[in-house]
Amino acid sequence: MTAYPVLTVTTFLPLVAATLILLLGSERFARWIALGGTLATLAVAAPLFLYFDKTSSALQFVESREWIPALNIDYSMGVDGISLPFIFLAVLLSILCVGVSWAAVGTRTREFYAVLLVAETAMIGLFAASNLFLFFIFWELIVVPVFLLIGVWGGPERVYASVKFLMFTLAGSVVMLVGIIALYDASGTLDFAELAAGASIEPGRQTWLFVAFLAAFAVKVPMFPVHTWLPNAHTEAPTAGSVILAGILLKMGAYGFLRVSLPILPGAVQLFLKPMLIISAVAIVWGAYVTLVQTDVKRLIAFSSVSHMGFVTLGIFTLSQRGVEGAILQMINHGILSAALFLMVGMIYERTHTREIKDYGGVARVAPVYSTLLALFCLAAAGFPGLNSFVGEFLIIGSAFGTEFWLGVMAVWGVALGTAYLIWLYYRMIMGEINPGLAGLAIELNAREVATLAPLAVLAIVLGLYPEWVLSYLHVPVAELLGSGVSP
Amino acid sequence: MNSATMSDVIVLAPELILVGMSLALILTARRMRSTSAAAVGTIVAALTAALASGWVLSLGSRTAFSGMITLDEYALFFNVLIAATLAIVVMLSVKSLDTEQIPRGEYHALLLLGATGMMLAGSALDLLTLYLGLELMTLTAYILVGIRVERPASNEAAIKYFLQGSFASALLLFGISLTYGVTGFTDFASIAAAISGQGLESNPLLLVGVGLVVVGLAFKIAAVPFHAWAPDAYEGASAPVAAFLAAGSKAAGLAALGRVSMAAFGSESQLLALILMGLAALSILGGSILLLSQTNMKRLLAYSSIAHAGYALLGLIAGTPEGTSATMTYAFFYVFMTLGTFGVIIALGSRGENLEGYRGLAAQRPGAAFVMLLFLLALTGIPPTAGFAAKFYVILAAVGAGYTGLAVLAVACSVISAFIYMRVAVLMYMTEPEEPAPAAFPTAVSAALAVAALVTLIGGISPGSLAPWVVSP
Repeated sequence: MTAYPVLTVTTFLPLVAATLILLLGSERFARWIALGGTLATLAVAAPLFLYFDKTSSALQFVESREWIPALNIDYSMGVDGISLPFIFLAVLLSILCVGVSWAAVGTRTREFYAVLLVAETAMIGLFAASNLFLFFIFWELIVVPVFLLIGVWGGPERVYASVKFLMFTLAGSVVMLVGIIALYDASGTLDFAELAAGASIEPGRQTWLFVAFLAAFAVKVPMFPVHTWLPNAHTEAPTAGSVILAGILLKMGAYGFLRVSLPILPGAVQLFLKPMLIISAVAIVWGAYVTLVQTDVKRLIAFSSVSHMGFVTLGIFTLSQRGVEGAILQMINHGILSAALFLMVGMIYERTHTREIKDYGGVARVAPVYSTLLALFCLAAAGFPGLNSFVGEFLIIGSAFGTEFWLGVMAVWGVALGTAYLIWLYYRMIMGEINPGLAGLAIELNAREVATLAPLAVLAIVLGLYPEWVLSYLHVPVAELLGSGVSP
Repeated sequence: MNSATMSDVIVLAPELILVGMSLALILTARRMRSTSAAAVGTIVAALTAALASGWVLSLGSRTAFSGMITLDEYALFFNVLIAATLAIVVMLSVKSLDTEQIPRGEYHALLLLGATGMMLAGSALDLLTLYLGLELMTLTAYILVGIRVERPASNEAAIKYFLQGSFASALLLFGISLTYGVTGFTDFASIAAAISGQGLESNPLLLVGVGLVVVGLAFKIAAVPFHAWAPDAYEGASAPVAAFLAAGSKAAGLAALGRVSMAAFGSESQLLALILMGLAALSILGGSILLLSQTNMKRLLAYSSIAHAGYALLGLIAGTPEGTSATMTYAFFYVFMTLGTFGVIIALGSRGENLEGYRGLAAQRPGAAFVMLLFLLALTGIPPTAGFAAKFYVILAAVGAGYTGLAVLAVACSVISAFIYMRVAVLMYMTEPEEPAPAAFPTAVSAALAVAALVTLIGGISPGSLAPWVVSP
């Protein structure tokens, strides 16, 4: 194996870089240190991908140190096939966040990059944590950087959006805290594996615990009807903030279902199965309709997340191998595509300073590279065969039909609406005659921006053609997860 | 009655050191030309007292004066905490003493006497010693609140505090006399033995006595509905004195409550749980809701301290050693985060006392804004700060004792309080400055802020670090 504690180093290297930025006190070098820090994080994380054993469902790269001995809580980390792809996504998106902010962030750059790097630590740590206490620490740790990202470097309504985000997430997570403590009180441990192995909490208590965790997870996903913070936060956040929100933050809730609810509270999952499936279906269709009528391009993409995350929770709660694998794959896909779309919107906004769709039109005539990349990402997000979302949606819809016929119908309906709003967006922004307001602006992307988008474009195509790359990580741990008594 | 022996005196060593320094300062007050001599003397006395506590305990835990007072691990914990409070408050006072013409010698002498009373409250093994300690603490506190004699607000606050405080002392004394009347004892061990030995658990007079003792102590920690003095006293007092009250008298009150409920009234646990539960729920709810409308930072922290008194009580409800340890942990971390918050207020001068004064602070003084953010997160209870660790322990104690509903109420109120704490963060980070950048902080104030910030951070990263020290009586 490796000579150093890979997960700890990967998690805390960004934090070290953030400290360095604050200590050095140079506004000019901040972005270079941030770029170096995020790239170095990718480098030290490399052994995770090189030496991971896909045939094992056990946690790998396990680290454990005594932390709070009196409470039997350890500092313990480890990854399995479910968490590894998310760590990769977090590390990658952080690099791209630095790339897109390179020229866009001009005020208080030092603090901006420090905050961004703290967020990276929290994102990686969350997926690396192998006990609920550490999980909660990282869960909360990400709230403050994102709050600051939105509130300090955001759009005109930034303060309202940041406070709304903070209050929603806090309200959810404190209820989870009581749940965590009650779970500890019932079982005497907070280790994920030990909790799942001894999952014999009495049914009444399971129900309450499920509700407590649901409060936190549902806000983060976000599930209908606690999604109302999302459009404000995503729209007002600076591009890097939107990327972190859409790319990683939204996945934390769904990851929580997979790590906590399914393995530890199987009885309550059965009880809540119907409501969860109904809420997911409502989110898919209702979210898509709301997306359709948006006139602000950033808000449109933000709302599309509600619909897309509905697919994810739908897949998870079908409790079938195909559905859960599809949901995880779809989380990765959505992380790639929503990040890409927010990056593209951010890039054009820097030039035009408008987010209204009606202010665009005919962009293809002046910015062919931009238009081509946007076409790729829009098609991918709409579930075009050969691109990444298609596979995830296919798996989820298949297993939805297997569960309840009408669920499948709702999901297909959502896909159709998704295609409509994305293609219509593309039509209004890119096609047709050029909008006179855009005349004289240099809209075409520069090399740095193309380089920022390139990894995502490559991933969208590669995962579309060879989804097994991610799915191969999932087969064993998902089978293990569903085999432990949660499947119907 | 035995005469005092060396062994008795040595148990009182920490308190005697503080009293000695206090007397020295009073005697030399007329000739004192600079604040720093008094400040250094007081800090040295505080640190010596803390070290002396540790040294005496290392000779073995013991009682003195026929079991009136002790120096055990519980007393040591609070002695160290109070010594730290005293030292930090003195460091924070450096600036305001010179600008507000407060008599230096008397000010420091009173702080030392107040700290002596606080230490006695944690060391007392007898209701009368406990009462004497608490009275010494509050009497000096009345004077400290009113020490800015030219200011009407300061005088008004002192009078209000005095009237309400005397009422509380009377209740406490009445409770003590009822307890004595029923059991025939004033020392904790004999009271406990008498209650269980003679089957006095449901004696109505004793129940009233226990209730009144708890109510008297609830005044000291400003738990709702005995909290009304706190906002006025904090607002009228100078900021360092308010910090001393918020941190020190809360710690001493909790120390006394913990000791009394464990050592004396252990067999009345049902009644205690009922009263403490009511006090905790009302304090958390009332403190958090009243917090929302505050625009003066000292009043804001007063309501914050009321809510935190409620959180700290969550540990004691269980009536178990683990619960008491949780309350001790809470008291410890709370002291540092609240002193830190007051520290920022003091460092910013008159601008710091007004909520709107925090506009744009992050752009002008990023370091100060950052530590303030840290303290605010701690007050809210968000990891990775000590405030989260503290909250985790007390909520664990409450859930463990079966009070899940109370735990839910507690966390729900922490979300309510987040509104106002984060309002300060919003002003600091997300608005433009309207006032000129604050002057450089005095070294002593910066050092105090650094200590408070460090404890707040370490407590969050290593929540178990206090475990060996929080020993229930």
